[in-house]
Amino acid sequence: MNHRHLLPNEIDLLVDGEAGFGVAPLRAHVAECDECRARLDDARIVVDALEALPHFAPDSRLADRVMAQVPVFVPAHVAARDSVTRWLPQSGPARAAAAVIGTSIAGLLTVAMIWLASRGDAAIFATSLFADRVQSLVMGTARDLAFSLLGDSAVAAIQASGMLGVTLLVLGFLGTAVGTILGLRRLATASSRRG
Amino acid sequence: MPHALDLANLPDADVVALALEGREAAHRELIRRYERPVFSLVFRMVRDRELAEDLTQDTFIKVLSHLDRYRSEFKFSSWLFKIANNVAIDHLRRRQLDTVSMDGSPHATTPDAVMASAIELSDHSESALEEMEAKELGSAIEQAISRLRPEYRSCILLRHVEGRSYEEIASTLDLPLGTVKTYIHRARHELRRALEHTRE
Repeated sequence: MNHRHLLPNEIDLLVDGEAGFGVAPLRAHVAECDECRARLDDARIVVDALEALPHFAPDSRLADRVMAQVPVFVPAHVAARDSVTRWLPQSGPARAAAAVIGTSIAGLLTVAMIWLASRGDAAIFATSLFADRVQSLVMGTARDLAFSLLGDSAVAAIQASGMLGVTLLVLGFLGTAVGTILGLRRLATASSRRG
Repeated sequence: MPHALDLANLPDADVVALALEGREAAHRELIRRYERPVFSLVFRMVRDRELAEDLTQDTFIKVLSHLDRYRSEFKFSSWLFKIANNVAIDHLRRRQLDTVSMDGSPHATTPDAVMASAIELSDHSESALEEMEAKELGSAIEQAISRLRPEYRSCILLRHVEGRSYEEIASTLDLPLGTVKTYIHRARHELRRALEHTRE
């Protein structure tokens, strides 16, 4: 028998139920030493009492009180995904039918694209024609809109200022838009917290 | 979105991910899972039910408002307990500024210094509310826990009431592993002495 009594940290190892390499000799010592066994039993009484302590329950309205003060935002990508999910059919057969229809449309479009690609000249001609039409439509609409909103003199001033003026105008517009969005978001957060 | 019943079967990390997607049900599920452990820890730290309710509420508001700061490589519960413990300790420190400490100076670095700066109360004049709390926290072990230093109390409660490992406690309380072991050893020693006293 090892006559050295256990150190306090060795008693802790046994109380914690450690199973390391050096624990077996400690257990063997305790089995033969009444004093150390008594110290270990005392330590276990404390641990058993601690582990028997119950959890207390808070007020049942805790969750409501917390949620009244926590702003919950749905991120844009989640909202978009939810919207798509809502449009999808719920039942299995309906989803299968939607998949068949979707695949057929995708297949037809793919074939059309391959056909167009195989006729390069025709595709380029049709694309450039379409692009010209779209460009003239967009430019015409933008010019009409600018004249009606800003007036002739303002549009003339913008044209005279060249690319720099247009860039500054666009940056000013974007800055105002971003500032407005952030302001509205802060207002929404503040009202959500108050609510 | 998973059905409300499914949330109860999801691991914490998945519920947190759903909460980050703006699902209120996931926020409520996190509260449901941890309101009792957090409240129990805080209640045993501050020993005042109404105050513990307020501090528990503050804890959950902080956690749920800053879920985006949670790092998923750690256990959610460890992060939650860290914030709960900080909220309770901050309150105890603020209260120490207003009142004289019964637990010994927080600046004491040795057990003797702690004992020297602690105050023994011989007469407890309790209000009705305090009596009610005393019944809840009235067992010998609860009384003994209340007399531990707050640092020891956090460690021993996390270890034996919440069943956390030494490593988790060290991570939760931002303490070195050796310090956690020392605190738990000293807390057990003090509790053992307190219980011996009650048995005599």
